[in-house]
Amino acid sequence: MLNTLTSWALVRLEITRALRNRKFLFFSVIYPALLFLIIAGSQSGSEVDDGSGLSLPAYLMVSMASFGALTAVLMGNSERIAKERESGWVRQLRLTTLPGRGYVLAKTASAAVVSLPSIVVVFVVAALFKDVRFEAWQWLALTAAIWAGSLCFAALGVAIGYLATGDAVRPITMIVYFGLSLLGGLWMPTTTFPQWLRDIASWLPTRAYAALGQAIETGGAPHAKDVTLLVAYFLLFAGARRGCTGRTH
Amino acid sequence: MVDMTTTSAPTVATSAVSFERVTKSYGDVRAVDGLTLDLRPGETVALLGPNGAGKSSTLDLLLGLRRPDSGTVRVFGTSPREAIAEGRVGAMLQSGGLMGEVTVRELVELACALHPRRHRVSDVLARAGITEIAGRKVDKLSGGQEQRVRFALATAGANDLIVLDEPTTGMDVTARQAFWATMREQADQGRAVLFATHYLEEADAIADRVLVLHRGRLLADGTAAEIKAKAGARKVSFDLAEIDADLAARLRELPFLTSLDVAGRTVRLQSTDADATVHALYGLGVYPYNLEVAGLGLEQAFVAITAAEEAASQC
Repeated sequence: MLNTLTSWALVRLEITRALRNRKFLFFSVIYPALLFLIIAGSQSGSEVDDGSGLSLPAYLMVSMASFGALTAVLMGNSERIAKERESGWVRQLRLTTLPGRGYVLAKTASAAVVSLPSIVVVFVVAALFKDVRFEAWQWLALTAAIWAGSLCFAALGVAIGYLATGDAVRPITMIVYFGLSLLGGLWMPTTTFPQWLRDIASWLPTRAYAALGQAIETGGAPHAKDVTLLVAYFLLFAGARRGCTGRTH
Repeated sequence: MVDMTTTSAPTVATSAVSFERVTKSYGDVRAVDGLTLDLRPGETVALLGPNGAGKSSTLDLLLGLRRPDSGTVRVFGTSPREAIAEGRVGAMLQSGGLMGEVTVRELVELACALHPRRHRVSDVLARAGITEIAGRKVDKLSGGQEQRVRFALATAGANDLIVLDEPTTGMDVTARQAFWATMREQADQGRAVLFATHYLEEADAIADRVLVLHRGRLLADGTAAEIKAKAGARKVSFDLAEIDADLAARLRELPFLTSLDVAGRTVRLQSTDADATVHALYGLGVYPYNLEVAGLGLEQAFVAITAAEEAASQC
């Protein structure tokens, strides 16, 4: 408890800094909503042929909200952490009373503060322009599930930041980001993939992530397999970070 | 006598820093080699050594940024990490970076907020001389300004020990003097100050005690005057009415000489026993004018000590 209070000063400053970064806000908050309008624009009536009976806009809304949250939690942190490790800021923080996990906590919190609006903006745009309709509980559950699920990718961003050097971190993040988005079906339904690619995709955290929201849209709870997969990935990413903090300081 | 025991007893119990046979290697390189030392509260101590002597490694161990391979490091009787978590240690490292995209004031506010015995933000800014640039973004500072921000971070609260690694690098002469004046105040309030520097005149002027580190070992430990004495030699210079070849030869045979240089009528020599050398000089029946006997500067003493060690280790 005391530790959390000590970390609060850094959490607040990280959030201030994230909200000040216009380019980052555009790509996390505005860009996914724009992408949703562009992709959903031409095909409003059609259904997704995965047997769920969801309309394409409803399907894409969850994909793009997940994509936006992914952008917010992954893109900013990995690069910043790698750079701040290299500049010695992480070292400087180790000379303060800040508890060891305070830094990671602050990074995750600032990412979560940006990812929430990126989810909500996609929902608002979908409801206003594409006539997507759900029950009140579904909207709330969707927001909560996608927001909570993004923690998995926040942990991935932190892990990349600790594993990669300052030069390599941007390309690595880009490959992971686009690879996971595309293969996980955040840009187009995985039903358009050949079977072997679908088999791979079914094990990706992004696929499980989007599936959380889709399950709620069809009126049910997220599937246990998807939740388990995300938790397993979260533990893996968090463990990867912990495994290399020893040698990086 | 009674006073001595009553004042020295508690300081023994509460060492600010103690290293006991501490060793740290990186691969084949032994950066710190069986280092034992003890710093007392209120002391201002300079850590000197040529590049690669193990200064930075010693500071890293002291701050718990690295663990020793063997031996123990204690700070105020506890582990370095614990002492830092309690807010007893403030440190300014060369390798310490700053958070970007925030203002100087925001960063100092953070440092104050993190400190259990925090000073007022405006005081910290003023003491570090950065009140005027408090609104500026950290990424837009000059090297000397960055250094002062680091100093502000290290003194955001009441620490019992302040550790500084090459603190005045990048500062001009005025800033450097102001910096040490501030540091003096800290020491006068009973804080221990440990600084590594390559400006030997700083060590000479500021430190109560000088530690000379070489190849990870403690080569000398004492006041600046003691270090100079340990180097042994003193400088003697004088003028003579005239110097012929015969006199020059006899000068060369003076006792305790370590070097002799004759330029025109001026003689400069170094001696391990200046008193005896000067006495013998008068014995030659000459009359030296403008006679000066002086100790070596700390810099020369430092070079002499490390060179002697270097020579000894090669035998």
